[in-house]
Amino acid sequence: MQQMVFDFFKLCNVEPVEIRKGVWQVQADDALMKELDGWRAQGRLLQFTFDQRLAELYGADLICRGSYRLNSILRVIRQQGTLSQAHIPHHFFHEPSIRKKILGSFAATERAYVVNCSLLYSPYLELTILVEARGLQKKESLHTVVVDLSSGNVLKFAFPYHLLKSEGVPKDALCKRKCSLKQAFRSATAHLNNLIAQTDTSWAHEARHKVNIEEEKLKDFFQGQVDSDEFRAKQEELHQRIGPVLRMDALRGAMLSVPLFKYRLVVVGSTGKEKTKNVMYDPIGNLYSQDLDQVPSDTPDRPGTHDQD
Amino acid sequence: MSHIVFLALVGNPPIRANLCVPVNPLITILENGQPCLRRSNHLLQLFPGLLRTQTKNESPALFHEETLTHYKSEVLARGFKEIVSDLRRQHYDTWDWYTLAKRADAFMIRQQETDELLAVEYLKERWKQVGVVPYQHQLQTARRVVFEMQGQAILADEVGLGKTIEAGLILKEYLLRGLVKKVLILAPASLLWQWYHELYEKFGINTGIQRSEWDWTYSDILIASLDTAKREPHASTIGSIPYDLLIIDEAHKLKNSSTVSYRFVNAIQKKYCLMLTATPVQNDLKELYNLIGLIKPGQLGSYRSFKERFIQDKRTPKNPHELKGLLSQIMIRNRRDEGTIQFTKRIVHPIVISMTPKEQELYNRVTQFVRARSQQTGMQNILPLITLQREVCSTFLATALTLEKMMLNMEFQQMEQVADLLKELADVKQNSKCDALERLVGEMHDKIIIFTEYKASQEYIRYRLERAGYKTLAFDGTLSRGKKQWIRHMFQKEAQILVSTESGGEGLNFQFCNQIVNFDLPWNPMRLEQRIGRVHRLGQARDVHIFNLITKDTIEEHIMYLLHQKINMFETIIGELDTILLHLNLGKSFESEIMEIFLAHDEQEKIREKLDRFGERFIKGQDEVRTSAWELF
Repeated sequence: MQQMVFDFFKLCNVEPVEIRKGVWQVQADDALMKELDGWRAQGRLLQFTFDQRLAELYGADLICRGSYRLNSILRVIRQQGTLSQAHIPHHFFHEPSIRKKILGSFAATERAYVVNCSLLYSPYLELTILVEARGLQKKESLHTVVVDLSSGNVLKFAFPYHLLKSEGVPKDALCKRKCSLKQAFRSATAHLNNLIAQTDTSWAHEARHKVNIEEEKLKDFFQGQVDSDEFRAKQEELHQRIGPVLRMDALRGAMLSVPLFKYRLVVVGSTGKEKTKNVMYDPIGNLYSQDLDQVPSDTPDRPGTHDQD
Repeated sequence: MSHIVFLALVGNPPIRANLCVPVNPLITILENGQPCLRRSNHLLQLFPGLLRTQTKNESPALFHEETLTHYKSEVLARGFKEIVSDLRRQHYDTWDWYTLAKRADAFMIRQQETDELLAVEYLKERWKQVGVVPYQHQLQTARRVVFEMQGQAILADEVGLGKTIEAGLILKEYLLRGLVKKVLILAPASLLWQWYHELYEKFGINTGIQRSEWDWTYSDILIASLDTAKREPHASTIGSIPYDLLIIDEAHKLKNSSTVSYRFVNAIQKKYCLMLTATPVQNDLKELYNLIGLIKPGQLGSYRSFKERFIQDKRTPKNPHELKGLLSQIMIRNRRDEGTIQFTKRIVHPIVISMTPKEQELYNRVTQFVRARSQQTGMQNILPLITLQREVCSTFLATALTLEKMMLNMEFQQMEQVADLLKELADVKQNSKCDALERLVGEMHDKIIIFTEYKASQEYIRYRLERAGYKTLAFDGTLSRGKKQWIRHMFQKEAQILVSTESGGEGLNFQFCNQIVNFDLPWNPMRLEQRIGRVHRLGQARDVHIFNLITKDTIEEHIMYLLHQKINMFETIIGELDTILLHLNLGKSFESEIMEIFLAHDEQEKIREKLDRFGERFIKGQDEVRTSAWELF
């Protein structure tokens, strides 16, 4: 929590100074104070501490679970970062080794030569999805799903976040996505549905059981008149209250560009006949495909042109 | 190979040209030149809906819905739409903000992973500032409602144990957990401001008080009067809105299922519902059945089966243990005698004041006038006479003003008589009660609230005390809410004496003061309890001293005898006063009952004897109310 607060101030271009042991101070300008405390607030020296005793002693804002100051900071942070972008640079991968691996993949009777090599990027969409399991109680969890926009598949392994560099990539280096954003979101939520269905569904069982009991009581109260509007309204209320529902909402997303190595090869067969082949290699998924006539897009890839998002 | 990072550069140079430079979200310059965060709360405050397209009360649009084996799966479109919209506009936040926001999301979710009340943590600072100390029974109640009762409960604590605090705590908890958004609070008109104030001050919940038809739709948390809400066109509007939480104060008004109020509340679409009443049963167990039917129909079965299984007679239950078990699933009743709260003591100091012969003579003349007038007008028009009789025990100034008003409706001969009286009242230069008050105030060094029933008396008391060199503040029903708050603040911080009429003190609490002076006594125990309740309530840390100024050989002596010696109103808190009064079935007001006794008898002994009987009736009623049906809870 402390680190998060310091990071927040750092991103706001203000540097906390420790004026007493355990008490920090930042020079918050009008803009920052308005974000934190509302439009009436004005810039001031904002002193804060994480220790209740020190807060009382020096009148500094207390930052702890549930405190006003922490909540105001969290509110501002969570308002930001709805969409971002990052990429993995090609130079993190040793191209000669990749080239060697590709050339080595042909049969012993064939010979292959690299005509040219292009360094492209493949688009991935990372979605942070809030999942609420609502039954007798509400339980929230946060899931990050990465969807390969070239194939529409959800990444089954952990994405190498440590390789990511902030900022995007030039549009002409980015391969066109074949999967719409809608499809990607659908794939991500379907993946989460499966994941949750395979793990713990006891919350849903409990809620369903309770709904059944309450429905019986309701029928008893209405003495079997289950067609009446009032019964239906009460039944609806019951389901609203404790009916098991898994609710998902995307909180934030990021466009991730991962490197693609594209080789144009000339392959000479055992008969001496030459063939031209395109080979694409994705080092993140360790996937390579041949004869993909995929070329970098000439026109800029405007997001949203592929689908009706 | 693929997961091994080689830091060595490949032959091709790294791509550097034409990079999409993200906008730093911090540095967006407004038209007025002010910098602000790109997704600015500040902007949202000034122009709601600027960045978010969702309008108020719009139910979350579904992206996809599916019914699976065990549960229904709903995918909301809201968040995704926002991402796509940003993508179209190429509005990228920096990666640092993005990762920080993700950390904040995770932190928030971790915070909510608790079976404890979040509200307690969130309100700690506020409660410290406003001096609220939540009691264990209140926290326990809120916990039970949220975690065990799924937000459906009748909060039936005895009077003064903080039902409003419990409801506020539950509301705050649901708001923090994101389970409610649209809330309707229905209360008697006189309590709307009290709700507004309590929710804001103690829970930081901003609410609206219903004033127009539009408020139902556009206000998320709305406080409204039940009587207004049940009328058209309001009732239809409310009926079409699905509420997340409905809170009904003084819910015993819904005991009768054939009333408009009952049908109206029954028709409201609600997910969670809280009903607040200190008296879930007043006369008949059917009332309880009706009340529960509003919250959880079927909890007690059909009425026929309920009658067969649980009703012996109107007030006596059959199978009380079984019924108690069923009720405990839906109702929570905390009682004073269960050690829930240790209230401080009430210490009564009666101060008997002898009037001067002149004052006594005038008192007798006014009393004779009241008796004569009551014989002429009959008991139907007794109210002004009661007022006059009470005022003459307060100050002659108040008496004179009432007499003046009465003169307007009198015939000439009677007017002459009243004019004589007025002349004599004007001649009295002394007020023994105020002299005694001055002496009393001189002996007290802490803050004091002086209560009087009449505005004229209030002004006279202030005049006398100011003349004697004391700083005073006045509190009455004509002051606006803001002024009342300001005067309360001034009293807490600056002044020593507050002179208040009863209506002035309604809804405000003065726990920082522990001395009250009853300059005149109200005849109704409910009003007396309200006075004392301003200072003797949850949060009062010191014993409360109650000084009663009683003029000797007046009706006030009899009132004091009834309220103090017979009913023991001052020292004990009689929880169900309204129920007891209702149960007594007087057919008239408490004041009228006393006045009738007083007018019907000349001799003091006879009056005392009648008041004795009346007091006994009250105590018997109190016992009856506390037994039978009450044992259920």
